[in-house]
Amino acid sequence: MTGYFDTERYPTLSEDGCRMLQFLREHPQAPHYRNQSGNRLQVEDLIALEAFEQQEACRRPEWSTQQPPDWLDSFIARAWHEVPYYRAQGATPRFADIEPVSRADFSRDIAAFVPDSVPTERLMNFRTTGTSGNPLLLPSHPRVAASYLSFHRRALRRIGIELTPGPQQVGVVLVGFQQRCFTYVSVTPQMGESGLAKINLHPNDWRDPADRAAYLDDLNPEVYTGDPLSFAELLTLPLKARPRALISVGMMLSNGMRATLEDHFSAPVLDIYSMNEAGPIGVYDRELNGHLLLQPDLYIEVLDPQGQPVATGERGEITLTGGFNFCLPLVRYRTGDFAALHFTNEGPLLADLSGRKPVRFRSASGHWLNNIDITHALQHLPLAQFALHQNHDATLHLRLAPASMMYAESARQSLQALFETPDITVGTIDSEDKVLQYTSNLEGAAI
Amino acid sequence: MKMTGPPLQSVLQRITECPADFLDEPRIGNRGRLEVAALVADRLRRAGYRVSSAELTSFDSRNDKADRKHLQLVALSLWLLDAEWVHHARLTGASLLSLLEKDMAELAKSSQVDKCLHDTERREEFSRFVLARLGYRPEGESEAQASDRLSALSSIERQRLLKESQAAERRAREIREALARKAAEESADKWTRE
Repeated sequence: MTGYFDTERYPTLSEDGCRMLQFLREHPQAPHYRNQSGNRLQVEDLIALEAFEQQEACRRPEWSTQQPPDWLDSFIARAWHEVPYYRAQGATPRFADIEPVSRADFSRDIAAFVPDSVPTERLMNFRTTGTSGNPLLLPSHPRVAASYLSFHRRALRRIGIELTPGPQQVGVVLVGFQQRCFTYVSVTPQMGESGLAKINLHPNDWRDPADRAAYLDDLNPEVYTGDPLSFAELLTLPLKARPRALISVGMMLSNGMRATLEDHFSAPVLDIYSMNEAGPIGVYDRELNGHLLLQPDLYIEVLDPQGQPVATGERGEITLTGGFNFCLPLVRYRTGDFAALHFTNEGPLLADLSGRKPVRFRSASGHWLNNIDITHALQHLPLAQFALHQNHDATLHLRLAPASMMYAESARQSLQALFETPDITVGTIDSEDKVLQYTSNLEGAAI
Repeated sequence: MKMTGPPLQSVLQRITECPADFLDEPRIGNRGRLEVAALVADRLRRAGYRVSSAELTSFDSRNDKADRKHLQLVALSLWLLDAEWVHHARLTGASLLSLLEKDMAELAKSSQVDKCLHDTERREEFSRFVLARLGYRPEGESEAQASDRLSALSSIERQRLLKESQAAERRAREIREALARKAAEESADKWTRE
């Protein structure tokens, strides 16, 4: 068992935590864990995380488009003082005059966005590829990675779920379903060393595919996290144990898929809008019909293509300022995602969220349809993933994840009703990479 | 150089009008008449700063060879710092002390008071140097223009910019190397995979 004591990966590991690691990795039906990782949290990190958790628990985003957050000016002044990219621009400008940045700016030289005060010894990275396929290493820190949990707990607390701490409990299983993915086991010190396993459901990762259900039943995690594709695979396993909640990130989750998952697992599914650049941003609320913002220190604007804020309630590009990643303070960062900002009694809300630039589609009668209309038309189906393309001749090609092909005809009929045309073919998404959900060759499709 | 100061011409003009009293030989040991340390203390007091005797040691020299040029430039600076716009600018005592002590000692390595008075380019260098170290640029110039002009005139400024860019490059390289480390790659211990 001594092999699990690793001062770099698990600096504060106890005997009980060590037993949890052993249980996860040496279980007779465990998958082939291909990698190693750890929480890398030191004692001072845990103290800081505890303070952060308490501070965040009693705050919520309190701002509007007319009344930006009170921390904004000092945040911008600090960025202009400490971050080479902004410092090079000279005097601190008015917030509204700041030129927004995008992923392309980060790609050119991410080092210029790291504040001078961040020591490099413990820097780590989150690799993102986006839909462009160009990898980008985003700077982060073990404490930043651990801070994600504060916002997951906030989202869970909204629906009455408090996680159980302790080294006898597996807190979370992160589920992937890919040819290859990074897999490992760990413990979460701020949850009393509850277990964490990041697994790949692909049969290649298991001695026997039947081990998957047996292993997960034995782990009996409180929470599964994953995306609609990996959850679609999880649905096929004859699991007996039930989690207390599922958290879906990284892709659009349809109402149909959410309903299927909630029915199957008898547990709520949280759809969290989250990205490596900023962590968990919002959680979907069915009553409010949008993603309610989770981070008190993240200011969100919705901008038009010229970088000007749109009127409240209009759709535009989600643009972020602030955040909890002290290695990458965001200043008017254009996410490439689109939504409309509303203000509710529970705080700011992103409605009609969709990734990437809006695309218009033309119906048989010549009307333009917004891609959000298509999202709505397919909402009722439990599709793990889909992509729609309109050809030069206005014919349509719908592609579905392999796990969703059973809904091909229903999806085609829904689109036929919307587009008033039977010229719709259906195929399979073969790639494991992220796909552009809406594309078109028609002139005038880009908005 | 984020703040706008006076027109350059008015600074140049003030230098040419420097009274002979400020150009006297500085007191070093038993020689010279100009008590630079006392002038510095007086100027800082008017800025609301109570300077300690330890802070005045670099203006109270006994080494003619090492300090004469520095003290002469300090005296010229003190004349410049008595201009009306400086009083309106409400500069802190700490920034004035830093200018007189460190920056003038640095400038003394490559310049001297006679040249600042009588050579057009050195006079402009001195004027811009003082403004820049206090965070100001001449009226009517952008930050980039003022920075370009100063680095064209001043070897010290060129050295400073070079050191700054070398430090920035070293820092950027350290960040890129840190991000590329294997340990940085595998540290993904969070509850979700975005």
